[in-house]
Amino acid sequence: MDAKKRKHRYAMVIVQDRCIGCMACYSACKFEWEVPISKEMFRTEVLEIEQKDVDGKPKVAFMPILCNHCDNAPCVEVCPTGASYKREEDGIVLIEPSMCIGCKACMEACPYNARYLNEELTVVDKCTFCLPRISNGLEPACVATCVGEARNFGDLNDKNSKVYKLLKDAKKVRRLQEDKGTLPNVYYVSMND
Amino acid sequence: MSKITRRAFIKTSAVASSALAVGGLLPKQSKAKSKIERYDEKMTHYDKGKTAFTYCEMCFWNCGVVAHIRDGVVHKLEGNRCNPNNMGHLCAKGNSGIMSLYDPNRLKYPMIRTGKRGEGKFKKATWEEAFDYIGEKLKGIINKYGEKSVASFLHGTGEEPFIILSHAIGTPNVIIPAYSQCMGSREIGWVLTYGTGVSGHSTFDFKNSKYIISFGRNLLGALQVREAEDVTEALARGAKLVYCDPRFSETAAKAHRWLPVKPGSDLALILGLIHVLIRDQLVNMEFVKKYCYGFGELAEYVKQFTPEWAYQETGIDIKTIEAIAWEFAKYAPNVVAVPPRRFSRYGNDTQTSRGIAILNALVGNWGVPGGIWERSKYAYIVANYNRSDCDIKEIEFRLPKEDEPPKPKAERADGAGTLFPLAPKGLGRENGIIEATKNENPYPIKAWLLYGTNPIGSSSIGKNKLVEEVIPNLDLIVDMDIIPNDISMYADVVLPESVYLERYDLPHIQKDAHPFIAIREPAVKPLFDTKGAWDIAKGIAERLGHGKYFEKSVEERIEEVIAQLPKDKQKELKEKGVVIYEGVEPFPQAAGKELEFKTPSKKIELYSTKLAKLYKEKGDDYYPLPKYKSAVQPREKDVYRLLFGRVPMHTHARTQNNKMLAEIYPENEVWINEEEAKRLGFDEHDKAVLYSVSTKIESEPIKVKPTSRIRKDCIFIAHGFGHISKFLDTAYKKGASDSYLCSDEVDSVSGAAAFNNAFVKIKRVRS
Repeated sequence: MDAKKRKHRYAMVIVQDRCIGCMACYSACKFEWEVPISKEMFRTEVLEIEQKDVDGKPKVAFMPILCNHCDNAPCVEVCPTGASYKREEDGIVLIEPSMCIGCKACMEACPYNARYLNEELTVVDKCTFCLPRISNGLEPACVATCVGEARNFGDLNDKNSKVYKLLKDAKKVRRLQEDKGTLPNVYYVSMND
Repeated sequence: MSKITRRAFIKTSAVASSALAVGGLLPKQSKAKSKIERYDEKMTHYDKGKTAFTYCEMCFWNCGVVAHIRDGVVHKLEGNRCNPNNMGHLCAKGNSGIMSLYDPNRLKYPMIRTGKRGEGKFKKATWEEAFDYIGEKLKGIINKYGEKSVASFLHGTGEEPFIILSHAIGTPNVIIPAYSQCMGSREIGWVLTYGTGVSGHSTFDFKNSKYIISFGRNLLGALQVREAEDVTEALARGAKLVYCDPRFSETAAKAHRWLPVKPGSDLALILGLIHVLIRDQLVNMEFVKKYCYGFGELAEYVKQFTPEWAYQETGIDIKTIEAIAWEFAKYAPNVVAVPPRRFSRYGNDTQTSRGIAILNALVGNWGVPGGIWERSKYAYIVANYNRSDCDIKEIEFRLPKEDEPPKPKAERADGAGTLFPLAPKGLGRENGIIEATKNENPYPIKAWLLYGTNPIGSSSIGKNKLVEEVIPNLDLIVDMDIIPNDISMYADVVLPESVYLERYDLPHIQKDAHPFIAIREPAVKPLFDTKGAWDIAKGIAERLGHGKYFEKSVEERIEEVIAQLPKDKQKELKEKGVVIYEGVEPFPQAAGKELEFKTPSKKIELYSTKLAKLYKEKGDDYYPLPKYKSAVQPREKDVYRLLFGRVPMHTHARTQNNKMLAEIYPENEVWINEEEAKRLGFDEHDKAVLYSVSTKIESEPIKVKPTSRIRKDCIFIAHGFGHISKFLDTAYKKGASDSYLCSDEVDSVSGAAAFNNAFVKIKRVRS
């Protein structure tokens, strides 16, 4: 189904200038969804990328990462049981745990490494855009707690939504690994030049 | 080949275990349902459960929290959107309060020592037994050495009852370690200049600022939520940020200019900036003539501090210094120059704070949006209840109320108010008390009552030989905390406090640009045999015959406070957990009002009249204009100045055992300039020990982080690691502690500590 014809076109728009790498999102998400205490298990996290500019001076960027809820989701394609699926009405990619056999094919297929094996549930797990929260009128846990208000969630079909406006006003917009044809729904934007 | 972790894999790919569940730690509820069923139920029937309002205690800044409770278990903490401290956001620490509540290593009942100090052998005791024991010991000590020989070290919401207890005992030695360990020099410098302090909830209007210069305040990494929110918002609106620090911190990552000053030379840079402002006639003379005292003296004094001179001292080039002064003036008055919070660095800190205060004054940013705001009291409730926000005017914690014991008049043991006349008697000097305890001078200190403080993690303990020469002089150490921290190992009695999510406390009343009140109600009943601070202090007081000061319960006291609010506000407080008082003017200058300052001259004192008096008695350190004293330099080769500071996900030496925070940042690393690391043959992930050249103490092994993010003459470690308490399963011996290695020097004006005049060698660990 053409993404634009969906009832909702949910997206996360991350204003990367505003991310300070504090990991509030990481912990809020793990408590919200009872993700086991383990460095290898998380639905979202923030990378600290250390580089140098042309003069050799340090340069540090913080980059939140999560499931991109791709319109062309490789994880859904490879799932042998149909446990991984994309919701037609809003584009959210989900896993039905009772159908997951833990084969990890999706984990290998995902170019974002957004999925992990939940060792407690022995099924694969990942970000759901906090579907239960957004269904109850709340923001996703990571968005609600974000100290720098770097993370924004909303419906791109709604021209009054913050995410729509941010994409419209952004000076730079990018998505990760677009060359893979995944059509991700997580946008990284910069509002300043 | 070693296994590539998911984290490392993402780091390389995206840009181009024994699992211990959160659920698993919680009480064994809903065991009947399978975990998958619970997961499904959460997806289809989202139920956040009951709620309770509180304010956060994971650090000192008391963000608003809404706790969510399901089946008697706190499962999620959210920020309270009505609270100005955090506007609904919580940092990683705030989110992770749940893991402090459900920390399996928590103190669960009172304990009395049975083994030697440091051995960690205790017997379980009832509260009655513990109070009796403390009461008997204290009586003996007071009989033999006098009331003054009891000292209390206090940090957190429960400070107040222990101040009342100390006053009832009759000892002047109440120590709020935040003064000497952290903000003392900053506040003294500010009070001398403006008559008021910066305060904990700082008076800078970052959000509306167009140009921010931070002299080592790690605004985005330290992490006080409102500051970080406001600075981020300012940057999004196009503000410029200049960040001055030998280390490239989280704040440097967002700065337009990073100035890696030579450690300890900040004041030289500030004097250079002031020189350019005056030389190039960029001072707001209208403001200065009206509101400042001593401009002539200042102008004459700074003639010598040319940018050329400042370059020699700081390593920051002349063009940059001039450009920053011009930019600061260009955007004035919507600009701020920000002192560090922990200003216990190089022993020249009070004068440096004075310099920063003057830099602000010259551009006239007082009472202007984007500059410095004026705080107001919460008008509905005039009396102070809580600790007064590190506010050190003239300079009491707060005056005793009618039904409280009077403040003892005896001389303090730590020199606050005497040897260091500017150091407030209400806050004291932790470094001074440690020294007094060690030397039994000016009089013996024989009992320490420690509430929420851990001197082993927070003081200069190597230089002071805390364990070897201070602690043996004490006949009684009572440790009151939520976890068995390092000092608990040496305590005679350990008393478990309830975690903030389990207890009532007096409302948090914050003096602010928009002052407010926030309530704390328990999310759950105490999980173990613990008590709140009020009831602990009461138990001790009763044994000493001072029970009359503690007759009311905490709940009754809360009712009394809230009863002072108008009825409609009481209702609002119940519904929102927070009520803001809006009838204030934080920007009086912008509103066309006359300004008043609480200094002796009633003006902003560029030339300090108070220092001028002390200067005659005490000499050069008290010079009435900001006198530059270059920081102590090392005498040996191949040594590095030891810097330390915060990471965003830990507070002091008290959150390292929190399983979630430890997952994010389990141990500290030593940052060393990559070229120095190469020269010494260190690679990333190598392990090293830090060796103090003055005490010959070696740290625990610590991972090396070679980086371009630090100057070549210093190294950096995150504070709070290297715990020695064997009861902390998660934090025990993770990383290295700065307190074994830092210096015990003192800022001679404020009397606060100067930790960073310490030099270490970095030695390889052979594995």
